[in-house]
Amino acid sequence: MKKILKIGILFAAVIAMVSCADKDSRNYQYMPNMYFPVGYETYQEVDFLPSGTEAMKPAENSISRGWLPYEFANDLEGKDLARLQPSPLDSLNAEENLAVGKELYDIYCAICHGAKGAGQGTLVKREKILGVPSYADAARNINVGSTYHTIYYGLNSMGSYAGQLDYTERWQVAEYVMKLKQDLTK
Amino acid sequence: MASHYEAPIRKPLVIGDKNYHDVSVDIAAPIEGRANRQWWIVFSIALAALLWGIGAIIYTISTGIGTWGLNKTVNWAWDITNFVWWVGIGHAGTLISAVLLLFRQKWRMAINRSAEAMTIFSVIQAGLFPIIHMGRPWLAYWVVPIPNQFGSLWVNFNSPLLWDVFAISTYLSVSLVFWWTGLLPDFAMIRDRAVKPFQKKIYGLVSFGWTGRAKDWQRFEEVSLVLAGLATPLVLSVHTIVSFDFATSVIPGWHTTIFPPYFVAGAIFSGFAMVQTLLIIMRKVCSLEAYITVQHIELMNIVIMVTGSIVGCAYITELFIAWYSGVEYEQYAFLNRATGPYWWAYLLMMSCNVVSPQVMWFKKIRTSIVISFVISIVVNIGMWFERFVIIVTSLHRDYLPSSWTMFSPTFVDIGIFIGTIGFFFVLFLLYARTFPVIAQAEVKSILKSSGSKYKKLRDAGQPLYQMPTEIAPAREVEVAEVTKPEETAKVGDLLSKLGTFDPDTDKADDLKKVKGIGPKMEQTLNQIGIYTFAQVSRMTDTEYRMLDEITGAFPGRAQRDDWAGQAMKLNKKS
Repeated sequence: MKKILKIGILFAAVIAMVSCADKDSRNYQYMPNMYFPVGYETYQEVDFLPSGTEAMKPAENSISRGWLPYEFANDLEGKDLARLQPSPLDSLNAEENLAVGKELYDIYCAICHGAKGAGQGTLVKREKILGVPSYADAARNINVGSTYHTIYYGLNSMGSYAGQLDYTERWQVAEYVMKLKQDLTK
Repeated sequence: MASHYEAPIRKPLVIGDKNYHDVSVDIAAPIEGRANRQWWIVFSIALAALLWGIGAIIYTISTGIGTWGLNKTVNWAWDITNFVWWVGIGHAGTLISAVLLLFRQKWRMAINRSAEAMTIFSVIQAGLFPIIHMGRPWLAYWVVPIPNQFGSLWVNFNSPLLWDVFAISTYLSVSLVFWWTGLLPDFAMIRDRAVKPFQKKIYGLVSFGWTGRAKDWQRFEEVSLVLAGLATPLVLSVHTIVSFDFATSVIPGWHTTIFPPYFVAGAIFSGFAMVQTLLIIMRKVCSLEAYITVQHIELMNIVIMVTGSIVGCAYITELFIAWYSGVEYEQYAFLNRATGPYWWAYLLMMSCNVVSPQVMWFKKIRTSIVISFVISIVVNIGMWFERFVIIVTSLHRDYLPSSWTMFSPTFVDIGIFIGTIGFFFVLFLLYARTFPVIAQAEVKSILKSSGSKYKKLRDAGQPLYQMPTEIAPAREVEVAEVTKPEETAKVGDLLSKLGTFDPDTDKADDLKKVKGIGPKMEQTLNQIGIYTFAQVSRMTDTEYRMLDEITGAFPGRAQRDDWAGQAMKLNKKS
């Protein structure tokens, strides 16, 4: 009887300890010496900055190393001028660029535009979004420069993808879009 | 017993006319009696030191190791010095109980219990330092190879600091088991003598139901021998491993192959000195002069002298090898010890460790209790400085002159050391009041071969035991007349405090029920006029003294056996 009591007490103690863990909050830590950062983490909340977060906008018109501003404005005139620019990517590496472009396209674009660029993405099929044109639409008449411009600034309902894709990636996607257009009009 | 032969050259190890009962009574006396004022004073001092040390430890752990005097160059100093010092002190206990057992040294019987207690208490002190000198002591459990959630991240078994963990923990646990096994028959003796129910219960628990059957004794002896056989290599390896902390390094002054045996010799040296210090006091305080004789002290002094000479040889060897090696760093390390900024520590170590044990060659000195006591303390000071010199002088100046520096301790360093000394004495003082400080079972085993009473009987060709023929005379309840006038006054004084006995109204009790009162003593008491438990229970220190003056027999006996306390209980029962 005494033994059962002892085992019972031990069991209860184990249950009590386990029951302290809560799934909805962070678990208990034993001596979190270097668990919380002393330095500033990128998106960490801070009190002393106006935005309340460690992430701040750079100063206007500043140019960081390895980056150049886009020269065309976000309007119809700028778009017409952008049509004239060729792809700066090395045409000898076209295969690789298209492969990378496909990966990025499938991630960022295919959800609306469809994997083939026919405007039949998953969201369109489910009627979450409407009015996505096919790349083959003659009225659109897209080329590599205008595609780049559209990725950079967005157009009508489409938003800018300049934050998701960097300079090279945008050109790679633009080249891949051209390939999709070719395949559609074939 | 007539067939027993012992060389006549051997001196008795138990002096005085002690028989088995006397041994039990003498050893149980400190446990069964009350602590006196001096004990409480010393205990309070030790406790104060302990509390101060605890404060220093808490301050260190909560604030950081930077509260100590360590710096980037000298990153081990008082912490490891004290660690090695305490471990070293702990070695004598195992040596006395294990090595001397293997060598069948009978003189160890009177000192082994206290020596082992000293081992355990000093290893506990030593065990503190590896924890508190850590930067993050709360992660100390990482030194243990336990399966874990870091992909079962393991410890590296190449570090002597990890070997230290195994060595010290094994050493402590084996010593503890060895010590406790030896204590079983002694606790059983206390249990069987206990009058107070609480005492009986406690000693009943700690004696594990020892009944002393032949089979038990046979196995007891075997276990002791096996444990002694295990403890001997252990005692040698533990301090060897501690010495590896230094010997396996690349520091000039540390990287030496002589360290393992030299540290072990130093450990025995300092350990025996500590045993000497404690036992010289203990034999006096606990009135154990009959068991811890001058011969015991002399023999310990001889061990101190021998190991001190080994340590001296090691010093000379180190110096010779440094010169012989042709390594500038090595040579400078020793030059620095002798002539550098810590020359005083080196000089102190040399004089305490090399010179002081050599005086033991003179019999006059090694049989002098006072000089032995002084030297035993000097040796421990010297051995502390040996560790300090090895650690600090080798670190503070080594390969790069740009990293040469000095070391000085802060009050926290010192406070922790004082705290461990306090802790040690707190444990030891409690031990001396609650444990049988002499292994009575073992002393009884040598009583007939080495007790002076029996030696005399044997020398005279008499049998060691004779059946008692006298039968105690029948006691009579009558107020006996006292003859001398000054005694009458004393008796009157005593009876006025205890109350007189009136044969017409009161009933006489059987005073023999009180432990310590035999038929003879009862008669004496009856002659004085003490017949009842009620009278005896009123006795206090002053009455005991008065009684001793009147009877003149067994001074202090009544107090030791706590007659009053016993009588009070018996009075309630009847």
